[in-house]
Amino acid sequence: MPIALANGDQTTFQLTGLIDTGADSVLASDYLADQLGIDLDDHDGETTLGVGGHVAAVRYKTISIRLYPKGEDDPHIEWQAPVGFIPNWHSYGFVLLGSVGFLDQFTVTASRFAQAVAVEHRDAFDDRFGAVLVT
Amino acid sequence: MEPIRTDFKGYEGKYVALDSRTGKIVLAAEDLEGLFERAKGRDHIVLGGRVPFADEPIPVGLG
Repeated sequence: MPIALANGDQTTFQLTGLIDTGADSVLASDYLADQLGIDLDDHDGETTLGVGGHVAAVRYKTISIRLYPKGEDDPHIEWQAPVGFIPNWHSYGFVLLGSVGFLDQFTVTASRFAQAVAVEHRDAFDDRFGAVLVT
Repeated sequence: MEPIRTDFKGYEGKYVALDSRTGKIVLAAEDLEGLFERAKGRDHIVLGGRVPFADEPIPVGLG
């Protein structure tokens, strides 16, 4: 999923975002915090998570996330969310798109059979299945 | 819309960037810093991560 992170007037390159229903939040390499000029000592929260079999101290900062629906020439969607930065972590993608900050923003449908992922407005779930949660 | 397919063969162990329009690998580097350096000034690219080797264990969960 092509995404970018933004902090003020600083923006990353477009990055591969991996949708992860098992991740509690949006998580990223702290290398990206450096790129965005974020001082993680001035964080919004800190927790300890198991990441790829290791325990890591994750520091959160609320910044902007941009989603590029079809490509960078199309208008992007942008929202604010807490992003947890993991020290010295990077793997097959740079950003994990988890529950808080991504799956609470969109309805995501994944199909290995179709070999495709659809990201729709979050109300699409209720439109399709009816409202499960009434507040 | 036709989904984009990327062939990662031959890039195992390297950090790669893809053309956002075609999905083809257009940049490769030995490390993350090198990839970001090479990406400067380039348009239409999406930075991926490190391509694993075929026999490399992949962690369960975040990784």
